Amino acid sequence: MSDEKNDIAAHVRALAAFLVANDLQQICIEREAETFEVARAPVQKESPVRAQPTPAPRARVEQIASDRVGIFHFSRTTPYVGDVLDGDRELGYVEQLGIRNPIRSRGAGRIVAVLQADGDLVDYGRPLFEVERS
Amino acid sequence: MFSKILIANRGEIAVRVNRACHGLGAQTVAIYSQADKDAMHVREADEAYCVGPGPVGRSYLDVANIVSTALATKCDAVHPGYGFLAENARFAEICSDHGLVFIGPKPSVIAAMGDKATAKRIMKEAGVATTPGSDILESAQKARDAAKRIGYPVLLKATAGGGGKGMRVVERPEDIDRAFASATAEAEASFKDGRLYMEKLLLQPRHVEVQVLGDEFGTVLHLGERDCSVQKPSHQKLIEEAPAPNLTSKQRHALHEMAVKACKSVGYTNAGTLEFLVAGDHVYFMEMNTRIQVEHPVTEMVYGVDLVKEQIRIAAGERAAYVQRDLQARGHAIECRINAENSQNNFAPEAGTVSHVEFPDGPGMRVDSHMYAGALVPPYYDSLLAKIVVHGETRDEAIARMELALRETTIEGVHTTIAQCAEILATREFREGRYDITFLPRLMAGAASR
Repeated sequence: MSDEKNDIAAHVRALAAFLVANDLQQICIEREAETFEVARAPVQKESPVRAQPTPAPRARVEQIASDRVGIFHFSRTTPYVGDVLDGDRELGYVEQLGIRNPIRSRGAGRIVAVLQADGDLVDYGRPLFEVERS
Repeated sequence: MFSKILIANRGEIAVRVNRACHGLGAQTVAIYSQADKDAMHVREADEAYCVGPGPVGRSYLDVANIVSTALATKCDAVHPGYGFLAENARFAEICSDHGLVFIGPKPSVIAAMGDKATAKRIMKEAGVATTPGSDILESAQKARDAAKRIGYPVLLKATAGGGGKGMRVVERPEDIDRAFASATAEAEASFKDGRLYMEKLLLQPRHVEVQVLGDEFGTVLHLGERDCSVQKPSHQKLIEEAPAPNLTSKQRHALHEMAVKACKSVGYTNAGTLEFLVAGDHVYFMEMNTRIQVEHPVTEMVYGVDLVKEQIRIAAGERAAYVQRDLQARGHAIECRINAENSQNNFAPEAGTVSHVEFPDGPGMRVDSHMYAGALVPPYYDSLLAKIVVHGETRDEAIARMELALRETTIEGVHTTIAQCAEILATREFREGRYDITFLPRLMAGAASR
């Protein structure tokens, strides 16, 4: 490994230790031309409790569904029920043949249901989240 | 043997393959489109996953979603059925790249035999008779030159073609430029490949095909021939039978020998079908289908072999379970395709909901179908509802049994081809087994002898 790569690895390790010591989810350091961002991966055990799909979507509640078949994962900032979305945000992704297909909130609102757990196999049209639009 | 197989298809063939997998102790994973969510193949598989909306391009042809389903469900093999991705060499290759066994021949063989002009060249080199024709025609001028050499009438065909798309009959030199342009455009639109080649148009030939099975150890077996000459003007088959009636033993032997020779020359493995045109005393290779055929049950009925199970066993690396001398045809089998079609509307495919279904049952009768009362016939897919298959000790007995089977078949909610099949069976030409590929178009035009 080159010296430069060793430096980067040492930086990342130090940031990861800082993250754990201070019980933080994510840290971002910008200096000169470099940006370091380190985040904790969502742990399946800590993922939100799976809720049953709402039988008939209520007014102003939109379902966000998967359009790919693959393994669903939450984004680095795990979305929870009650989270307020200021704008379009990546909530998770469907991993398919090594490619991450992002699942986005498609606008602002409030998450009212998280319907899949991290690591679930999802198919086409499978509801993933319910978002109440303001 | 495989522990779990993904069935990359729908309809009756998905149900048929599912049965074979379960018979071999393998679990199954079905895929379906949103239009097929209540389909029989979804209910009968051990697991089922939606791969897209109704249109085939976004569901049954979505390679990424299908392969991802197979991997995520820990399948070890994929059975493609027929149609859709069954003869897509790239799909077979992608399966293999991801550690999935594609139940079919090697991708290189699919590619070579799927390209009709290449397949004809390979067969010619292997000493198999092919219809007089040309290689790929790069221009209308080349088409004019080829037609002059071969002699009119000629047939322009799309090398990537099937189902009559990109095909034109040209009877006179003055029509060839226009036919070349329109066939190229149609082939380009249908297959994203506008390349054409030319064949001598044989007058009143019969369509006879030979079933083969090859294993990884170099064994190639034939399971006799089927006559598939009852075809609509669109070249869609409607009734098939095995063995083919009124072939001389010399012709029959020549067909079987050519099929085995051709398969050995390309190292063919798994199930396949070589299609021939029989014109007078001549037998010409037409094309090869590197998959299971719709009409495979007639062969199964006369040979007592489960071809789909054999496909799976061979793909799992087992030796063919038979030797040629064990494979003896017994009796006669006929298949009628019951499609959702409206005879009042030029037999156009029909979508709808089947409200009531009754199928025949009894000795020598078999029905391959995915229909049930309440089943939806979506507009996106082929219109096949059921295959009624009968077996008799003689051809006459098989015809009589089929007439009974058709009378006992009821499908309500959509128009079907039941009456049309019964009409064909009643004609003198069919009963005498003296029909060719012009028979059904003539019958539909009211010109065939009844």
